[in-house]
Amino acid sequence: MHLKAPEHQVAGHIAKDGKPGPLVDDKGRFFKPLQGDSRGEIEVKFYESFSSNTEVPDHIRRYFPVYHGTQAVEGSDGATMIVLENLLSKYSKPSVMDVKMGSRTWYPEASEEYIQKCLRKDARSTTVSSGFRISGFEVFDHRELSFWKPDRKLLNGIKVDGVRVALRKFVSSNTLSDTSSKPDSAFASSVYGGSNGILTQLLELKTWFENQTFYHFNSCSILIIYENEAINDNGARAQVKLVDFAHVHDGNGVIDHNFLGGLCSFINFVRDILQSVDESTEN
Amino acid sequence: MYPVFCSKKLKAPEHQVAGHSAKEGRLGPLVDGEGRFFKPFQHDFRGENEARFYKFFSSNKKAPDHIHGYFPAYHDIQVVEASNGSGKLPHVVLEDVVSDYLRPTIMDTKIGSRTWYPDVSERYFNKCMRKDRRTTSVPLGFRISGFKIFDHQESSYWMPDKKVVHGYNVDEARLAFRKFVSSNSLADSIPDCAFASDVYGGSNGILAQLLELKAWFETQTLYHLNSSSVLMFYENDESVLMKGGDDAVRAQVKLIDFAHFVDGNGVIDHNFLGGLCSFIKLIQDILESSDKSDETGTYRFGNGH
Repeated sequence: MHLKAPEHQVAGHIAKDGKPGPLVDDKGRFFKPLQGDSRGEIEVKFYESFSSNTEVPDHIRRYFPVYHGTQAVEGSDGATMIVLENLLSKYSKPSVMDVKMGSRTWYPEASEEYIQKCLRKDARSTTVSSGFRISGFEVFDHRELSFWKPDRKLLNGIKVDGVRVALRKFVSSNTLSDTSSKPDSAFASSVYGGSNGILTQLLELKTWFENQTFYHFNSCSILIIYENEAINDNGARAQVKLVDFAHVHDGNGVIDHNFLGGLCSFINFVRDILQSVDESTEN
Repeated sequence: MYPVFCSKKLKAPEHQVAGHSAKEGRLGPLVDGEGRFFKPFQHDFRGENEARFYKFFSSNKKAPDHIHGYFPAYHDIQVVEASNGSGKLPHVVLEDVVSDYLRPTIMDTKIGSRTWYPDVSERYFNKCMRKDRRTTSVPLGFRISGFKIFDHQESSYWMPDKKVVHGYNVDEARLAFRKFVSSNSLADSIPDCAFASDVYGGSNGILAQLLELKAWFETQTLYHLNSSSVLMFYENDESVLMKGGDDAVRAQVKLIDFAHFVDGNGVIDHNFLGGLCSFIKLIQDILESSDKSDETGTYRFGNGH
């Protein structure tokens, strides 16, 4: 089995300081090391429950990575890894954005220390104000013909207007590192719009979240992916995926109102961009 | 200066279920018995803030008419004698939304999994957090502030103690929503949810109204209604119900309490919306389980509760 570090990790844990990071193989699989404490177990428990939950409709299942069980992997000290579908294996030049959903990332079952840590992060970012925050993103720059990533520190400090700029840059074709030029949002309709675009997918998820009481997806992210290679000829193949289930808890008959509120807010941001792009093309 | 209003006799409202009460000589709202509700300016900025909300909202043409209907009509500010004898105070004058109900059954539910909001003082933040975590606000996205039910069997009102209501856990809150539409609320037995389809259901029922509000909250970015409540009420007087036709129940939703509203700044009120969706789900569950019990003739718990 030939394993290597994934190319397009935009957020979350990477391999450093001797601790194992995620790996990918050449068969479309993603190997995620089990996180410490109980988080790895919780994530496995979620995937086990979800993959066998017959009440989750198929059209919702597509928004989750396929689960292939757990495996001890050589070269990472025999550490157990969660084996998942590599969400990027079918993309040749993917732009990826990780958006952490919810106006709070803490939850009642967490330790007091964790709650305080989350409260600080939530207040400092757009989580409290907007119901979500952008954890990271990487965009293919069609002018420079290379991938561009915003500075991590800058990203952590952005406010609501910064979020709007980031969401536009994510679908733009002009030089992204140039802060003086306005993002052209050239791919907004192909990525965000259309009958298979991001907005349509988010609206499908929203309907499911208005009713499902199985899981509370604390601190989960929505990953947005699209293809840059031949985007004008073949379309963007934009995809929404939910990831990071280390803090998922039982819904106990209550909907995940925290995730849902944030999702509705994010939907509104995306819709605003689409509308302003439509309006400017009409003018 | 605000107009001074002296002539009519004002008294404490009969049907207040939450908030400060004017009874026993404390500072609280008053009614004139002719359809107007007088709410005294609360300390600090809150009274002015609420007045500001009503003033802006009542003249806001961006909100459609049917949404305006979910808010009490605003009748400006008047200076009247305060309920606690402290002299003349400015009061926000609103429509008394229950004035033409004979025996309304009423519930006040504070919407949102958090009642604090950015830029509040640390003291207020801590006070809110404590309450939100101790009550059903964090887990359910809303908490019941108070309710009163007119019980037909006893022919009297039942109003549980506010402290008890604030201490409800999720299951107890669900039970209260069932008792709200039951004819046997005072009894210890399982609530019969006899009025569920009349009050919660139907094209004009509580659920239909909440769904209209939800649609507005999915796109409106004008206001963030922190700590606001949904007041839901219906006519529960037997003689009125027996006389009237299909809609004698007149189930109604009103949004109230805007002392802590802030500008939306182009972002939807995701905190309120999340809580509202959770509230809607709970009511839908009750409707569904009461439908099922009609079919089978026995009362069954739906969705595991």
